[in-house]
Amino acid sequence: MFDFLFVPLYNIDMITQEKLTILTESAKYDVSCSSSGSARKNAGGVGNGYIAGCCHSFTPDGRCVSLLKILLSNDCVYDCKYCPNRVSADVPRATATPDEICELTMDFYKRNYIEGLFLSSAVTKNPDFTMEQLLLVVKKLRTEYGFHGYIHLKGIPKADPALNRSAALYADRMSYNVELPTEKSLKLLAPQKSKESLLLPMKTLTRERAQFVEEKRKKQVSGHFLPAGQTTQMIVGATPEADGQILRLTQALYRKMQLKRVYYSSYVPVVQDSLLPDKCTGQLREHRLYQADWLLRFYGFSVEEIVTEGENLALEYDPKCAWALKNMHLFPVEINRASLEELLRVPGIGGRSAQKIIQARAYTTLTFESLVKMRVALKRAKHFITCNGKFFGAKNETAVRGLLISAENGENAVQENLFSLLPDTGAVSEKKILFSDRQNALSALTGEL
Amino acid sequence: MFYLFDGSENGFLTAFLLAFQDKNARISSKSAQLLLGQEPVFVRTDDDRAQRAKARLLSFDNGCHKDLNALLRCGREDNEQVAFEYLRFLAQKKRPVRGMLAEPAVYRAVEYIKKVGLEIHHFHGFIRFIECESGALYAPFEPDNDICDLLVPHFRARLPAFPFVLHDVKRKKAAVYDGANAFLAPLEKAEIMISADESAWQGLWKKYYSAVNIPSRERLKQMRGYMPARYWKYMPERS
Ligand code: SF4
Repeated sequence: MFDFLFVPLYNIDMITQEKLTILTESAKYDVSCSSSGSARKNAGGVGNGYIAGCCHSFTPDGRCVSLLKILLSNDCVYDCKYCPNRVSADVPRATATPDEICELTMDFYKRNYIEGLFLSSAVTKNPDFTMEQLLLVVKKLRTEYGFHGYIHLKGIPKADPALNRSAALYADRMSYNVELPTEKSLKLLAPQKSKESLLLPMKTLTRERAQFVEEKRKKQVSGHFLPAGQTTQMIVGATPEADGQILRLTQALYRKMQLKRVYYSSYVPVVQDSLLPDKCTGQLREHRLYQADWLLRFYGFSVEEIVTEGENLALEYDPKCAWALKNMHLFPVEINRASLEELLRVPGIGGRSAQKIIQARAYTTLTFESLVKMRVALKRAKHFITCNGKFFGAKNETAVRGLLISAENGENAVQENLFSLLPDTGAVSEKKILFSDRQNALSALTGEL
Repeated sequence: MFYLFDGSENGFLTAFLLAFQDKNARISSKSAQLLLGQEPVFVRTDDDRAQRAKARLLSFDNGCHKDLNALLRCGREDNEQVAFEYLRFLAQKKRPVRGMLAEPAVYRAVEYIKKVGLEIHHFHGFIRFIECESGALYAPFEPDNDICDLLVPHFRARLPAFPFVLHDVKRKKAAVYDGANAFLAPLEKAEIMISADESAWQGLWKKYYSAVNIPSRERLKQMRGYMPARYWKYMPERS
């Protein structure tokens, strides 16, 4: 069905629109589109890394387009229940040639449509064969096409570790999607995958990367080994795990595997199956998970503070508000004295506002009016702070609860999250940056939630 | 008093000196801001005095030149006034003031500077090149702020082998990289011969853009928030 040609004949490796559509449609549920974390230099040829990541467009669903997200093939031999490409599904199949992918990447990149390539694939034939094909593409792109832009490669579970290691020398980032938070759910919905088959390659690559960094420091090796690290993704709402359980896994992945990001993809039923829910998971739930994730990565929270294992996050207010309401004895804090950590724990005060407060109070005692002038969002925060000894919030906790809910509806919480971390255009000195991991903070701001 | 200067940095600094003591000073290079019947002071740019003013300001805060540069590039109506009030405050305090955010003059300046920086970051992503027959890349765009030359280092670093033109259509100027050197040039209208493959690649890009969208999750407000509609004109996927 793909053999009619309507593209110019003189460019034999230009992919057809049909093939592109099939291979993109299948890849789009991968949420990660981040292009951050790599400072790869241009060494002749085309492209370089952009450490903060860069969004090139936004689609009507509000998501950022940063990378060309595409499958090499959607012709799968596995049968994951939730996946439109599973072997038992009757869908159009397509496989691109390595040159088609390379040409497409180069020509999109040159026109500044994209920041790089996010390549994955269904399991064609077997894991080793598939991984070999993927390796072939990234190697070709780097060595023959001279491409130095960003490459994110999704690894194939159960492939030969030697293949993964080779791929890691060309890719900026690799990911294995955990998909489902428990072994039990995996067994049910993705029978050919197991937790071990997903976690093992991650572990191995984490170890090998550390080793590479060490050898590079001693100048025994050169080049790159996943400069932008690893990420993963979980589907939320296809199986009954609670947010508390999901976030515990997240925390472990950050702490033990040093993952750069965990993405959550709220379940969209593209496939009908008696084992699967027929409803979309609410976007709000996904949003709350990202907020909680944010607290883990940038605000010094631990999962135990946020939610118990069997519980879901509150939907009425964001996880920081929920935490604060449970810990009213810690509030109010005085904005002229509170430490950075304390300020960051005030509902409604993000990284950017905390930074402004710390900066400004070095010169003068801040009042409520000063905060207004500095455009610190106070709708939620005012219930948890005093300004030069004065309190402007509601009198009792019940009132606070009610007001927080209406504040949440008024202020766009997503925006607060994103824009609280905008890059400083020289107005703030580098030394004052709040976060342990500036790169991550920067990448987060580029709209990659 | 209303001080009308020629738009140059030295012009601004000359005006700055003239207006310094004037509590009600309005500074601008845009005569459109003049009120009817108002008699402006036409500022004659004095390069020597301007340089001395600059040296003095730099002695208080050596980062202030960067600030001034960004503020003069800012596309807001009152950008020059904001620059004036910020630098006057700096000159009064005689030390860096950029952290004093509770001070309106500082806050406004910092906001404007941030806007310029943010737009540069945006256009690193939103620029769309059209491939010409010669292999050169041409990108028309209409930024809010006067930034086309500031985008050159980014694209030059990643596409060193490609000559390119970043054309600010609104300001009728272009930043040009010829494969070796970069320069600014006035440019009203560009005549380009597009390459044979160009429309096919644009077609693929549009196809990709619509395929990667999840229609059941439409959030147009979000999209417009991140990618303002005024930028769409030159983006094939939205125009
Ligand atoms: S391995 Fe599973 S999730 Fe991946 S393409 Fe095949 S069926 Fe889909």
